[in-house]
Amino acid sequence: MSGAEVVVQVLADEGCDVLFGYSGGAILPVYDAVFRYNAEHPRDDGREALLLVVPANEQGAGFMASGYARASGKVGVAIVTSGPGATNLVTPIRDAMADSVPMVAICGQVPTSSLGSDAFQEAPVSNIMGACAKHVFLVTEPERLEATLRTAFEIARSGRPGPVVVDIPKNVQNAKLRFDGVCCLPIPGYRARLRQIEHARLDDDACARLFAALAQAKRPLVYAGGGVIKGDAASALRTFVDAFGVPVTTTLMGLGAFDTRHPLALHMLGMHGTAYANYAVEDCDCLLALGARFDDRVAGVPEKFAPHATFIAQIDIDPAEIGKVKPVDWQHVGPLSVALDRLTRYGKTHGVALKLDDWHAHVAQLKRDHALDYDRASNWIQPQAVIDAINRHARGRAVVSTGVGQHQMWAAQYFDFAEPRHWLTSGSMGTMGFGLPAAIGAQFARPDALVIDVDGDGSIRMNLGELETVTTYGLPLKVVVLNNRGDGMVRQWQKLYFGHRFAATDKSLHRKDFVKAAEADGFGWARRLERKEELESVIAEFLSCKGPAFLEVAIDPDAGVFPMVGPGATYAQMVTGEFIASRTAPARAEGATTDMF
Amino acid sequence: MKHTLSILLQNESGALVRVAGLFAARHCNIDTLTVAATHDPGVSQITLVMHGDANTLEQILRQLRKLVDVLDANSLSLVGSRGDARLAVALPA
Repeated sequence: MSGAEVVVQVLADEGCDVLFGYSGGAILPVYDAVFRYNAEHPRDDGREALLLVVPANEQGAGFMASGYARASGKVGVAIVTSGPGATNLVTPIRDAMADSVPMVAICGQVPTSSLGSDAFQEAPVSNIMGACAKHVFLVTEPERLEATLRTAFEIARSGRPGPVVVDIPKNVQNAKLRFDGVCCLPIPGYRARLRQIEHARLDDDACARLFAALAQAKRPLVYAGGGVIKGDAASALRTFVDAFGVPVTTTLMGLGAFDTRHPLALHMLGMHGTAYANYAVEDCDCLLALGARFDDRVAGVPEKFAPHATFIAQIDIDPAEIGKVKPVDWQHVGPLSVALDRLTRYGKTHGVALKLDDWHAHVAQLKRDHALDYDRASNWIQPQAVIDAINRHARGRAVVSTGVGQHQMWAAQYFDFAEPRHWLTSGSMGTMGFGLPAAIGAQFARPDALVIDVDGDGSIRMNLGELETVTTYGLPLKVVVLNNRGDGMVRQWQKLYFGHRFAATDKSLHRKDFVKAAEADGFGWARRLERKEELESVIAEFLSCKGPAFLEVAIDPDAGVFPMVGPGATYAQMVTGEFIASRTAPARAEGATTDMF
Repeated sequence: MKHTLSILLQNESGALVRVAGLFAARHCNIDTLTVAATHDPGVSQITLVMHGDANTLEQILRQLRKLVDVLDANSLSLVGSRGDARLAVALPA
C-alpha cells in the first residue's frame, strides 16, 4: 500500500463518509487514492463511499468539517494541500479548538528532503498549527503514518474534543508501506491522564456534600455550557432536573443542552442573554456549572458574577477549567453524563426532595415580567420578527447555523432549541463567515434535516463563494441573510461607546445584489423581502422550497441586540433596551476608555 | 515569585516549540530553560524557571499537562512543604 492509500484506509476504518477539501500539488497522492478507493468500493445507493466535498476556499472546507462535526458528534475531516491550503485552514482550526470541536485536518507538505528550504507552497504548518490546534503531527517517518493518523482521531474525539492536524510530506504519501490495521502511537502521558479522568467517579461523600448544599439553598441554578452537548449529557441533565427541579440557564454554546421550552428553562445567560436568565443568576444562592467555563461573555466581571451564590459547584472534563476564572466550592473532573447520572441516583436513593416552590414561582415571574421583546410597531421589518416567523415553522427541529454579530444573537435569543446539536455557531472565536460553510457541512451530516443558515450581510460576504457549493451538491439548504447594510454589532458598540462614529461599519453604499449573487450561483429560489406585510407568506414559501433557497431580508438598520451586559459591566448593570422591562433604572454606558471587549 | 518546573517530554518533532509556545501564548515569561536527555532516548527533561503568582503557576501546569507530548509537569518549588522557594534555588537551572 502507498502512504496515500494508508491515509484513505484509516479514514474509512474510522467511519468517515464525507471529506471536505481542496486539492493541490502536495496532497495529490491522497486525492488520487480517494478517487481509486471510491471506484473500488461502489455502494448500492450510488453514493460514493468517501464523498469528497470541494469548497471555494480551504477555509470553507474547515468550517464544513466543523459544521459536520458539530451537527453529528462525529469527527469532521478536512484535507488540504501544503502552504496556502494549510494556512487557509488556520482560522477554522483555531475556531474548532476554541469551541472544542473534534476535527482531523490532513495537510499535504513538501517532501521531507525539501523541508525548511523555502520550497514552493511550503509553510511551517506544525509551528503555525501547534499554537492553534489540540495537537499537530508532522509525519517524517513513513512507517509511523498509519499509527499517527489513527492516534489523531483518538486525540480529536477523546477528553475535551478538539482539532488535530496531520502534516504529511509528499514522499511519505508515496512511500510503500505495510498496512497493520490496528497500530497506534503510545502517547503515554496523554492516555494516562485521560484514563484517570474518564474513570473518575463521584464518591458518596462528594455526592452528600453537593446535596447538602442544594438542600440548604433556596435558589439553586444550573449554568450549563457546551460541555453538556460535547459530553452527550443532555438526557442526563434532563433526568437530574426532572428529579430535583433546579432551573437551567445555558450558555451560547449550551443552547440545545436543555429544551428551551421547558418551564424551568431560562434560555441563554450572558452579555446578550435573556433578562430573566441574567436576573436569575443575580438572584441565585447556589450555582452548578456543568461543562461551562465562566467565559468573559458570561462572567465579564468574575467576582461579581452570581454575587449571592454562597456555593458554586463545577463539573468539567478539563481539569484546567476548574476554578480558572472563579473559585469554586465543590468540583469534579470527569465525564459529565456519568457524574450527573451518579448524582441523580444518589439523590433518589437518599430521598432528596428540594423545596423550591418559591424559587419556581420567582423564576416564572421573571420569565413573565422580563420576556424578550422588540419594536413591533415599527414600519421596518424587525430581525427578531424574522427569526420568530422561521421558528414557528421550525418548532425547535431545524439545524441552525449563523455568522457572527447581531443576527447571531437574535437567532440565539428567538429560536427554540429542543435538542442538542441543532445550534451551530462560532462561540468562542466569533468567526464571521462561519455560517454558510458550517450549514453545508451540517446538511451532509443530516441530509434529511431542515438546515438553515441565518446570516448577516457582513458575515456571509466573508465566505460568499460557498453559495456555489450549495448548488453544486444540490443541498436543500435554506440561507437567510438579515441585511442591515453594515456590521451591526460593531455599529451598536460605536453607537454606545464611540459617539455614533461609524468607522468602517456603514455599508449603505455597497452595491452587492445578494439575490443576483445567489441566482448566479444556481439558486432556483432567491428573493429579497422588504415589506413587513409579506413576512409570513414569504417565510412560509422560503421554508417549503424543496431545493436550495436564498432569502435576503431588508431589516431595520438601527435594530439593536438587547438585553446587553456591556463590556466590563456586571449583570446588575444590564441594559434591557426600550422593549424589555428592566427591574432597575438603566445605568449609563461607560465610554470608549474601557479595555474590556 | 520564581518557580522551577520540571517537564518530562516525549522526544517528538515540534514538542519543545509547543511547550515554549504555550508559555508565550499564555503571556508567561520563561526566565531560563534547559533541555537534557534522560536514560530513555525517547524522553527529554526540561527544567524551566518562570515567575508568577500561585494561580499563574497552577494554570500553566494544568495547561502543560494538556499537551499530548508532555509525560509529566511539576513545580519543584512545590515539592518542599508549603512551596518552599529555597528548594528551587538549590537546583541547577
